[in-house]
Amino acid sequence: MKTAVRTTNLWKIYPQEPDPVEAVRGISTEIETGDFVAMAGPSGSGKTTMLNMIGGLTRPSRGQIWIGDREITEMSDKDLAQLRLERIGFVFQSYNLLPVLTALENAEFTLLLSGVPKDERRKKVLELFDKIGLSGLEDRKPGKLSGGQQQRVAVARAVVANPALILADEPTANLDSKASTDLLDVMERLNQDHGTTFLFSTHDPRVMERSRRLITLVDGQIESDERRNHSSVSP
Amino acid sequence: MRLTVLLKLAMRSVGRNTRRSALTSLAMVLGLALLVFSRSLAEGAYDKMIDSGVRMGSGHIAIQAPEYLETGKLEHRLEAGVVRLASEVANDVLRESLLSWAPRLSVNGLASSTTAAVPVRIEGVDPELERAFSDIEDKLQDGRYLEAGDRLHAYIGTELAQRLDVQVGNRFVLTAQTSTGDVEGQLVRVAGIFQTGIPEVDQSLIHIPIDTAREWLHTPGATSTLAFLLKESELTDIGVETLQLKLENERQIRVLGWRESSPELAAAIRLDSTGNYIFHSILLAIIALAILNAIMISVLGRRREFGVLQAMGLTGVETGFYVFLEGLFLTVVSGVAGISAGLLFTWGFFRDGLDFSIFMEDGLEFGGQIMEPIIIPHFSVEQLLISTFVVVTIGIISSLYPALRASKLDVAEAMKFEQ
Repeated sequence: MKTAVRTTNLWKIYPQEPDPVEAVRGISTEIETGDFVAMAGPSGSGKTTMLNMIGGLTRPSRGQIWIGDREITEMSDKDLAQLRLERIGFVFQSYNLLPVLTALENAEFTLLLSGVPKDERRKKVLELFDKIGLSGLEDRKPGKLSGGQQQRVAVARAVVANPALILADEPTANLDSKASTDLLDVMERLNQDHGTTFLFSTHDPRVMERSRRLITLVDGQIESDERRNHSSVSP
Repeated sequence: MRLTVLLKLAMRSVGRNTRRSALTSLAMVLGLALLVFSRSLAEGAYDKMIDSGVRMGSGHIAIQAPEYLETGKLEHRLEAGVVRLASEVANDVLRESLLSWAPRLSVNGLASSTTAAVPVRIEGVDPELERAFSDIEDKLQDGRYLEAGDRLHAYIGTELAQRLDVQVGNRFVLTAQTSTGDVEGQLVRVAGIFQTGIPEVDQSLIHIPIDTAREWLHTPGATSTLAFLLKESELTDIGVETLQLKLENERQIRVLGWRESSPELAAAIRLDSTGNYIFHSILLAIIALAILNAIMISVLGRRREFGVLQAMGLTGVETGFYVFLEGLFLTVVSGVAGISAGLLFTWGFFRDGLDFSIFMEDGLEFGGQIMEPIIIPHFSVEQLLISTFVVVTIGIISSLYPALRASKLDVAEAMKFEQ
């Protein structure tokens, strides 16, 4: 199996008075392509910092990160931006849709940045919307969508360009139980249909339950790393 | 750089926070409208001053002997042959832009009546040409202006008439040093009395027919100044340059623009204009700060949005450029609206002008000229281009810092920011 993400002896230390904060302490791990991995742990355990470093949003203090076969810690900001555009999709806890764009425009944004022609963009997004239950909501601005709908648009935006890796930071934290289950169904289906690798940071037991691998962090280190039985999409 | 995407985002963002955009625009619109109006009014006032100044003085362009401006003496005059040549060349070169022209032979002398003797500035003029050139006839208080065929007639100011105790029809004697070096007298009769409101002029200026002056001063065909009035004062510099080129071999000729021949007027306009520029700069700085404030607040409140954009693949530079475009777009739209509003408001006064007589009942002397209380605003293409340039510059300057802040964003920190 190919490796989607690999980290070796990864550290993140925030300089702070009187003592520096060691958010991540020497984590080495590998995530296989097509895996559905949850990273759990209490607040301050380093989950979000790990996702930010893997996504190239924060540079590590020490150690190395590979996305596929590319080592990213020494990349320029411009190259990192291009890497994110081509290979990484993000889903955030607060949806973070662009309020000035419609649902369809939000979803097609990465394709727009990649220079994909309009017709092709629209076709891809409409197919995806159909698949994840957003048909009919294309022209709505984020403010006119429910939390669950907004998060599904965010997922559509993350996956529409077929990135190799989706990093999802507590994606169900602001959703009710039904919306969370629906969202996990959507992501799991995309994982299975497209082979997209998903890496979550989460507190949500439902996400942990549905993941195929659960990494637990405590105080910036891996406390446990267990492979779980294959989950199934809820009916 | 994905310019189209950034431009689209920037335009949408301006429309997103309508209250913020509207308030910022309003500040700009009001500021620029005021700027356009006050600038047009100042330009209109300067036009009027220049027009009045050059008509009373040596025109937009003057041809004189090289030393005449400094000495004002009769010995520094243009002789008949030079006058013929210069007037022919000038009338030919300035043909398209010439409104009128006038020859003047000037000398300092003494006006004496039975009551008093007063130092005066005597100008020999061609009555017909002078009537078309200067507006001194409009200042007539009593009698009439000089006419063709007049010989021993004089047109004098009210204060001089009072000091000499003469009225229309009375005679008095002019005395001056002639070209031969002798001091000779000339008897003249008051044809008319004028009042310009400028004490120095009303106390000392006397117009007599140029032929009488030439005969009296023994300077046949000579003039001190050939004065040319142009259709637009903006044509002065090019006219002076062309004439200087055409007459460069004539050593006994000097071509002057009105700024050189009327230095007091030029200095007064320059001084007033500097004051205006300072006022306008303060106004523009306030506008720029209003925009900077609006964009800065917007940037600080949207850190998470910029973080998301960078997480999706926008570079820091592109994020900064997005903010820059937003500021520029807001400025340009508001700028166009402001300039249009200013023009529209000013438009109402283009025909009849703005009456300031309530503030200056007796007229206001400025740069040796009496300012008319009615000022017609003047707005030129050049001014429009400058205003546009200023607006764009304000937009660029006030958007640069917020853009820089957005481009240097710590993405991970920005994601924590609560919107």
